[in-house]
Amino acid sequence: MTTELRKVAVLGGNRIPFARSNSAYAAASNQDMLTAALDGLVSRFALEGERLGEVVAGAVLKHSRDFNLTRETVMSTRLDAATPAYDIQQACGTGLQAALLVANKIALGQIDCGVAGGVDTTSDAPLAVGDDLRKLLIKLNNARSTGDRLKVLAGVRPGMIVPAIPRNEEPRTGLSMGEHQARTGARWGVTRAEQDELTARSHHNLAAAYERGFQADLVTPFLGLERDQNLRPDSSVEKLAKLKPVFGGPQGTMTAGNSTPLSDGAAAVLLASEEWAQERGLPVLAHLVTGETAAVDYVGGDEGLLMAPAYAVPRMLDRLGLTLQDFDIYEIHEAFASQVLSTLKAWEDAVFCQERLGRSAPLGAIDRSRLNVNGSSLAAGHPFAATGGRIVAAAAKELYERGGGRALISICAAGGQGVVAILESNGSN
Amino acid sequence: MPDTYTSLANSPIGKLITGQLGLPRPTILERYSPGDATISGQVLLGAAPGGRLAPAAATVLAGLSANVSTALRGDLRKAAADAGLDAAVFNGEVPGDARFKALVFDATGITDSTQLRELHAFFHPVVRRTQSCSRVVVLGTAPEDTGSPREAAAQRALEGFTRSLGKEIGQGGTVQLVYVAPGAEAFLGSTLRFLLSARSAYVSGQVVRINQGAATPPVVDVHRPLEGKVALVTGASRGIGAAIASVLARDGAHVVGLDIPPLAEDLEAVTSALGGSFLTADITTDDAPQSIALHLQEAHGGVDIVVHNAGITQDRTLARMKPERWERVLDINLSSEERINDELLSSGVLNTGARIVCVSSIAGIAGNNGQTNYGTSKAGVAGMVVAMAPVLAKQQVTINAVAPGFIETQMTAAVPIAIREAGRRMNSMSQGGLPVDVAEAIAWFAAPDSGGLNGNVVRVCGQSLLGA
Amino acid sequence: MTTRIKELDGAPSVLAGYGRAFASALPLVSSLPLPVSLPGGGSGELPDLELRVPSLKTDLTHLADYAKVCGFTLRDTLPATYLNVRAFPVHIALMTDGDFPFGPVGLVHLRNAIRHVRPVSVREELSLRVWVTGLDPHPKGRTLTLHTEAAAADGEVVWSAESTMLKLGGGSGERVERGADPDVPASVTWTVPGDQGRRYATVSGDRNPIHLYGLTAKPFGFPRAIAHGLWTKARAVAALEARLPDAFTVDVEFRKPVLLPTRVSFGSSTDAQGVTAFAVTDARKGSAHLVGSVTPAKKQRTSRRTTTANGGTTA
Repeated sequence: MTTELRKVAVLGGNRIPFARSNSAYAAASNQDMLTAALDGLVSRFALEGERLGEVVAGAVLKHSRDFNLTRETVMSTRLDAATPAYDIQQACGTGLQAALLVANKIALGQIDCGVAGGVDTTSDAPLAVGDDLRKLLIKLNNARSTGDRLKVLAGVRPGMIVPAIPRNEEPRTGLSMGEHQARTGARWGVTRAEQDELTARSHHNLAAAYERGFQADLVTPFLGLERDQNLRPDSSVEKLAKLKPVFGGPQGTMTAGNSTPLSDGAAAVLLASEEWAQERGLPVLAHLVTGETAAVDYVGGDEGLLMAPAYAVPRMLDRLGLTLQDFDIYEIHEAFASQVLSTLKAWEDAVFCQERLGRSAPLGAIDRSRLNVNGSSLAAGHPFAATGGRIVAAAAKELYERGGGRALISICAAGGQGVVAILESNGSN
Repeated sequence: MPDTYTSLANSPIGKLITGQLGLPRPTILERYSPGDATISGQVLLGAAPGGRLAPAAATVLAGLSANVSTALRGDLRKAAADAGLDAAVFNGEVPGDARFKALVFDATGITDSTQLRELHAFFHPVVRRTQSCSRVVVLGTAPEDTGSPREAAAQRALEGFTRSLGKEIGQGGTVQLVYVAPGAEAFLGSTLRFLLSARSAYVSGQVVRINQGAATPPVVDVHRPLEGKVALVTGASRGIGAAIASVLARDGAHVVGLDIPPLAEDLEAVTSALGGSFLTADITTDDAPQSIALHLQEAHGGVDIVVHNAGITQDRTLARMKPERWERVLDINLSSEERINDELLSSGVLNTGARIVCVSSIAGIAGNNGQTNYGTSKAGVAGMVVAMAPVLAKQQVTINAVAPGFIETQMTAAVPIAIREAGRRMNSMSQGGLPVDVAEAIAWFAAPDSGGLNGNVVRVCGQSLLGA
Repeated sequence: MTTRIKELDGAPSVLAGYGRAFASALPLVSSLPLPVSLPGGGSGELPDLELRVPSLKTDLTHLADYAKVCGFTLRDTLPATYLNVRAFPVHIALMTDGDFPFGPVGLVHLRNAIRHVRPVSVREELSLRVWVTGLDPHPKGRTLTLHTEAAAADGEVVWSAESTMLKLGGGSGERVERGADPDVPASVTWTVPGDQGRRYATVSGDRNPIHLYGLTAKPFGFPRAIAHGLWTKARAVAALEARLPDAFTVDVEFRKPVLLPTRVSFGSSTDAQGVTAFAVTDARKGSAHLVGSVTPAKKQRTSRRTTTANGGTTA
């Protein structure tokens, strides 16, 4: 059986403003935030009571009670409770990978519409019980008499009560993502100045996007926030230059300014077949053309933890016969300014492209004025799994408003992974 | 083996004392052991824009499996990529803990004195980021090969830079200038391999000229480059000669040791330990050249490497020197070498691609009190090398010389302590060299891929102040 | 008689009100000549008094705690039952006013009806108005109704509630048969832990002893602590929240107290008119603790129309 592939339309998205960790959304759970993002999307596109093909979302930091997070969320929204849903998790690539999964089913004709999203909270992060305490609790559970229980409890030591706080750290290397990137950045000779410059531009671009009303139908206020909490419209290279390094030691170039802060938030994006959109009179902002996922060996190999997109993009380009310069806008997720700059340098580098990618020539430079034109994670914040949805919706809308074009989306993820995708738009025709 | 002072100065207590007293603490120089990687650390490759040698250097480094960094600059990255070098990126503006074992800079792009600032731009950020026993190699175009007076001046200026940096770099680091003639890029390999490795521990502040050799340099096994070669080493029974025999054998050569009959026992001990053979002869006799040639022809079918190491001193001030002393030194140290060379050449015993390496001396360059005879002979050796080079080139044979400085041998051990200490310390390494250092330099000239080296006289002197 | 209007600055202290309330419940104390006026005095008539809170803002931490205790999703809009707990201190203030004929202790909550006019954002500043009507005859005593209105900044009433309470004793009038339990299949079972009353008390501020511990509930005639009726209602509304329209009324009648700890069942069904009947019942016996209904407002607000990227609108 052969199935003709259908085009996958991006109809729009919705997210809640992103908050800094332990701040505006400190009391909100993943489910609360994802519900808010999804309900906003439902009301924006009048999906109340509609049964969608599926909702795919996820969170990177999850409580055990959130095992069925997305389905539970759907049940809290005004969507038809008959809308199926499932969770995925691919670190910071979760949101974009979710979109690719939904898109693939639409393309294959298995579903007509779906929502992809993601959510993360670093404020309500799960605390793991230490191994010692866990064993003790099992004993306590099995104790028959009060006397036995008291005996078990007598074995509790203060050290056991301290929960194993989940760290933003790679289990295989014991290094935080920032430390990993500090190494990669140093390896690519990324300077403090260029990182700060990229950061300031991200803030200015996002602030301008809010100013011109670009975000009005992409963001729904939540719990008192109307804009991303991390956004500093008056950010400048001079101000950023005053910050102390937080990664790479005292001589490091990575600061709290040019690294994304821990954030809370959720995002969702509506995908559908052309017919589904047409039936409802919904304009197609862009098409999700294809995606690619890559992984690198950052443990045994000597590649940087966050360099996988540098591999994923050329593979995807080759598949479509495109060059890196064939894009009108580039959405490169700013996990760290250093990550974006390292990736761009790699693509411009003959050695990387020849030795690591096996290409005869570098991919070349991109027009920097087309990079993250509405700001990215450095300004907006980065609730891990929510970033993909934010980017897909914003990039689709930007293309649509420009009257068409092509966008490259690139998101790096923990575990040495990278998810990338291409959007194309005909504008309002 | 380091001298006593160097060992003491590097002991925990010695470090304390030398630190307190402000005495020099000579670095214990790293030396090559069989199986060692050519370069034990990161190499930074740079180039003045428009240079022609970065691709060649990158190719050599790739062949050595070196860990190389370059600036993120199109020409350099392309050179590295084309050489198959998975080079890292280095940006001097970014603080980091990168430490370099070697710095290689292609200065051939400098065609005007104003462009000499490229030297500063490249070296300034990294000169303090070198490891101990680091290696600096600047590649240039010999002034005589340049296209304009300004380029010639700028290229000549490199010599002053490398010699000065050699005195500044410290910690056992060495700095060399290598002039590579246009078209001779492919001959860079053996020289870069030597100068970047621990084999060149006591060679610094030197200028090496590489010209186009007779034949395309063969690919060699860097651990046994002399495999299958037959090497004649004169004066092989002791001192530097024994070290030469040992190093050549280590590098794969079959060594034929030669010394005077009274030293036959020592000679046999040295050569048999190396799996070589020996020949006793008094090289001053008239029939010596023929008997040597005959032996090499009959026993080995020819010779690939000839090392003229045999030499004597008969020190006296000229006023007190009897003619016998003059004659004997000149005959052994210079004339006999000429006679042997002539015989080997005319008899056809020298194989195609053969290498003649002579041992000159710093005394022949700087002169030395009481050594008018010796100085004359060793300067003559240098002259012979320079003069014979173009002649031998026609037969695909090269001739070069090493000029040892203060080398720790029985001969120098007999020198009175004050003079000995002066000789030891008055160089950039603050110590004497070892016989093996001379031997390593000879092995470099002797290598099959050293065809681009012809007529060079390279000092193994730790950049001695004498005659510099 | 003109209505006396009293404006409260900020949230009135529940504890002070309760102090007086309990003081009045103790016969000895109420007969002492105290310098403060205690409820239970006055004319025996309900006071014509209206309490107003001019500025009521939402504390997100409190809202989140409330949402968690009651099972609501923390949203950008207030849960339909949330203002019940914000109004509670005002109710106490009203009932502990010197003119009030009796104290709040011992009042039995019969009914709570909420009119949800539109979603209220967590950022909105509201004003509250609370007054009381009654006393109406009841077979077991007399009833009074607490009225609460929440208005937005422009004066639009966005939420209102009526709570009917029974003051036992001196019953009169016909004994009215209770309506049959609504025919809703129980679909969900909730385990209600023994500390549910205390947990709700921390977010509602209502530390009525009947909800706290068995020991504190016994003097008031309950074998164990009982769940707060407004919690049971909130929990039921939370279960329905995904299906609630923007404008609706939710009316519940409290039947049998929920003795803690326990397991209760919840079920709902929606008829052709869109009215959802629901009930919280005893999981074992099936008898109703609470019955209620959600009725969409007649002139239901249409879904918010929003501008999309092309400047057009979507329904």
